[in-house]
Amino acid sequence: MEDGEIEEGSIGGVEEEEQSSEPRKSEESPYEILRNSKASVENIVAQILSIKKEGKPKQLLRDLVTQMFLHFITLRQANRSILLEEDRVKTETERAKAPVDLTTLQLHNLMYEKSHYVKAIKACKDFKSKYPDIDLVPEDEFFRDAPQDIQDSVFSNDAAHNLMLKRLNFELFQRKELCKLHEKLEQQKKVLLETIANRNKFLTSLPSHLKSLKKASLPVQNQLGLHHTKRLKQHHSAELLPPALYVIYSQLLAQKEAFGEPIDLEIIGSLKDAQAFARQQAHKDTDISTTVESSKLDDDGPDEEEEGQRRRKRPRRVQAKENLDQGGIFQVHPLKIIIHVYGDEASRPKSAKLITLRFEYLVKLNVVCVGIEGSNDGPENDILCNLFPNDTGLELPHQSAKLFVQDAITFNTQRTSRPYKWAQHLAGIDFLPEVSPLLITDNSGAAKKESVISGLSLYRQQNRVPTVLQRIRARRKAQLTLLEQLESLTKLEWPRLSYKGVPWALHSPLCNLDSWSPVRLPPVPRESSSSPAIIDKEEHVQEPMDTDVNEHSGATKAETESITEDGELPSLLPNMSKPDHSTQLNLISKTIVPPLNKIRSQSFKKFDDNSDFLLDTESDLDEPAQTEEEHENILSNYHAKKSVSWMDHGLKEFCLVLCRKISAYESNVNLEAKIKISMEYPLRPPLFALSIHCISSGGNHDEPGLEWYNELRAMEAEVNLHILKMLPVNQQNYVLAHQVSCLATLFDYYLDEASPSSERTNCTSVVDVGLCKPVTGRFLGRSFRGRDRRKMISWKDMKLNSICPQ
Amino acid sequence: MCGDATNWDEDAYRETVLKERQIKTRTVFRTAWAPPYTPIIDTLLVASSDGSVASYSIAPSMLNNPFYFVNADTDELSAQPNCFVQAHDGPAYDVKFYGDGEDALMLSCGDDGRIRGWRWKEFSSSNYFVSSQGNDIKPVLDMVNPQHKGPWGALSPIPENNAIAVNTQAGSVFAASGDSCAYCWDVESGKVKMVFKGHMDYLHCIVARNSSNQIITGSEDGTARIWDCKSGKCTQVIDPAKDLKLKGFASWVGCVALDASESWLACSSGRNISLWNLPALECVSKIPTHACVQDMLFDNNQLLTVGTDPLLNRFDMNGTILSQIQCAPSSSFSISLHSAGVMAVGGYGCLVDVISQFGSHMCTFRCQ
Repeated sequence: MEDGEIEEGSIGGVEEEEQSSEPRKSEESPYEILRNSKASVENIVAQILSIKKEGKPKQLLRDLVTQMFLHFITLRQANRSILLEEDRVKTETERAKAPVDLTTLQLHNLMYEKSHYVKAIKACKDFKSKYPDIDLVPEDEFFRDAPQDIQDSVFSNDAAHNLMLKRLNFELFQRKELCKLHEKLEQQKKVLLETIANRNKFLTSLPSHLKSLKKASLPVQNQLGLHHTKRLKQHHSAELLPPALYVIYSQLLAQKEAFGEPIDLEIIGSLKDAQAFARQQAHKDTDISTTVESSKLDDDGPDEEEEGQRRRKRPRRVQAKENLDQGGIFQVHPLKIIIHVYGDEASRPKSAKLITLRFEYLVKLNVVCVGIEGSNDGPENDILCNLFPNDTGLELPHQSAKLFVQDAITFNTQRTSRPYKWAQHLAGIDFLPEVSPLLITDNSGAAKKESVISGLSLYRQQNRVPTVLQRIRARRKAQLTLLEQLESLTKLEWPRLSYKGVPWALHSPLCNLDSWSPVRLPPVPRESSSSPAIIDKEEHVQEPMDTDVNEHSGATKAETESITEDGELPSLLPNMSKPDHSTQLNLISKTIVPPLNKIRSQSFKKFDDNSDFLLDTESDLDEPAQTEEEHENILSNYHAKKSVSWMDHGLKEFCLVLCRKISAYESNVNLEAKIKISMEYPLRPPLFALSIHCISSGGNHDEPGLEWYNELRAMEAEVNLHILKMLPVNQQNYVLAHQVSCLATLFDYYLDEASPSSERTNCTSVVDVGLCKPVTGRFLGRSFRGRDRRKMISWKDMKLNSICPQ
Repeated sequence: MCGDATNWDEDAYRETVLKERQIKTRTVFRTAWAPPYTPIIDTLLVASSDGSVASYSIAPSMLNNPFYFVNADTDELSAQPNCFVQAHDGPAYDVKFYGDGEDALMLSCGDDGRIRGWRWKEFSSSNYFVSSQGNDIKPVLDMVNPQHKGPWGALSPIPENNAIAVNTQAGSVFAASGDSCAYCWDVESGKVKMVFKGHMDYLHCIVARNSSNQIITGSEDGTARIWDCKSGKCTQVIDPAKDLKLKGFASWVGCVALDASESWLACSSGRNISLWNLPALECVSKIPTHACVQDMLFDNNQLLTVGTDPLLNRFDMNGTILSQIQCAPSSSFSISLHSAGVMAVGGYGCLVDVISQFGSHMCTFRCQ
């Protein structure tokens, strides 16, 4: 079995030999050897196997084994020689590799070099010159114009390139020429500038010469009545007017020049201020986006300046302004327009000056104010109010301004100029843009300009200027004639009637003009203005004090209330308005009085016990006077509650007493007429309220007023209404005189008819007018008629007749 | 308003000023509550001195100032009428209803001496247009006072009618006329049935005492007379101011009033009211008043009077004053009482004041 093991081992060895000797195949000898020995080994193994199988003796094996070992050795030898060969080949290959690497490197270098050149070529090809298109002169022109030396010169072999270079040269040549020319011209210019400067200097010095000349000519101008210089100045300052005032100025001027309207225009105020104002306005409006605070601060400077300027004129007002925060609100534009209105009678070339108006512009409120120049009357005598219906000038005309002012509802009452609506219409505020004209940019300005133009044409269509002027003249004339009539009435003379076409003008009154006195108005108009306005007003009067305004207003309120109840006059108000203790006490005592009154009146009530029957506790039986008083109290309270109507603004009230002695009773009958003359006189004719009193010789007053009640009403209707229709239009201004004399006529008539003599029964005879037989030689008729027992008044053929008025 | 500087029309403005004044000088001579007399206060008829008769609906929305007194001088009170008719030339003095319900006639009389009647239904259904001037409804009744013949056949002017009274059962309308006669008109025929002559001066007022077929008239001559309608004779002359007249005071019977039982008569004369018991024919009480009484009426056992002062007085039968209520017209010519107790006072200034039974002012308006 050991053999078998060995054999096995040997067999394995053989097989390894065979495998390892395989590379020998490439080399003939070793591989041959390898193969042969392998084959022989195989043979031997086969022999061994067969021996083993056949069970042949082992001696044979030994031989075979040695043989096999020999073969193994040869195998190994062959193997080694193969390995050696291999090594040799390897080194050889190694040696051959080096030159190959070198050449590859060289190849790469060359490739790189090539790509570089390609790139460079491409860059050269793509090169663009700095002046890609110098607009050279065209070729034919070049050939025509270029000097010969340039044309002949040769710079390059390339013909095209050469041409190009030549052309470039030509260009350069030309440009150099032009440069030279430029320099020359420049020099010329300098010379010219110098001469211009010289002349300029002369021109600037010219105005001063002219001015002196003008100054010298002024006396001559005055002498000759030419106001050329003045007008020029006016035109110049007109440019600085705010748009609203400019419209007034231009339209009035146009009216004057086109239609010979007898007015004169003037612009007053310092030009410098106006310029400064315009500049400031422009400045402010442009950076309006900046904080309001700063702009306010900006305002303060110029304001102060303005104040200072005005302080000289009206120191009191200025103080008030400083007190109030509103000072800025009522800021006035420095320029104002003065308009002298003359009468329009055609007869005289230059009729008397009727009135002088001052228009000013409140910058913040965008409101035009009008005042009468040279008059410091209170609001009562303000003849410009209600020039048109409902235009008292106490309220700001437009909502935006109202919003702006907020707390002070009414306009500052102390100002002499007021924002009437007609002034706004005259200024065309309704169509003017709100921005100042300096700011209007081109595109937005065009649209605005158009709207202004259309507004102006509407303005002219509406005849605003003539209407307003006509109204002002009519108002002024009416006021003058009214004054005349009032004067004659104050002297207790019957006013003269120039117009004789009405019956009462021919009647010579039998009654006397007993008295004529102005009635102070109840304090209604003042009270109606709200408390802030009152504060405003009072602070004008007072020294500026550190008092709390709230407390103050409370005091004034209480005061005004007490005044209503006492029926005291408002003129006392400013004097009492020092907020110290004495007035406080005063107040208390004042306010206590009316309640006491009330208590008394209530205690006198007769029917307090059976009050379940009493429906109305306010009335009192036994004292009718008391009742009336109460009634009046109610009324006045009521008045105080209600705001006063615009018609009562500027109302004048008078009391006229006509007196007639009646011989039968030896008593006097007094007809008392309360006459309310509104500012709209004569458009709104004076309103008469009549009452009658009998004063018998004993001096005790009788009151037939209530019996006469309906007659009085009929007379009122006649005087207030019916006779107005009989007056011609040109007599309208004398309507008061007519009314008074008509009243006298009526009074005479009524007294004659109603004289309580025996005739009376005849007068009211059964038979109707025209049918009775005259008994006393007089023509008789019914004197009363209808449920109201009214006298029949008719004006027939200039005589008083009987009819029934409605 | 009427123009400013931009569109000034001076004449138009003058017109409006005068128009305003004209309205303020007009007088309401009679107010009357319209049938049907439902508890709902609805329509008030107003006859005024421009000869118009207009109806105003007193809707709750019109109650502008339930509890306050209104000052007529300052407040804007104009009201639009529902229906309007230009009934008379010259003032319209009285308005009465003849009959009840829907087929009632609205009768009015005025200064032109006419009595005119409209169907109430027709009138109340017409709408007021300013343009038509109220001439679009035709009266169904039109009666004119006769004129007197003078020497040579001259005709006197037509006397005015100052008041009317009705007797529905007899179908007659009584008119207090300006020629010192009272006339009884037949509604069916439109003819004068009877003339009551005897007063010395024109008649102010007339009431019908239908229970005993009598009428009572008050005249400018200072007497009131009771007439028998059958015979046309004066049965009684009441002279409330006999003693006063001797002193030469002017007195006239401006208004008379009968109470619901028709046994009490109130007679005004100047500044006095005398109260008469008709069955006994004696003066029960004399009430002096502060102002001339121009209209009065009985409210149960109380007497309501208005006159030339702006007060509505309420007296009891003894002549003691119960209340005085301030009312808007400064001189009132008419008081009318609704069955619900609401009173309407009309007078000078074309003002009508509607006062509730408790004395509060329900509304005040100025007619147009």
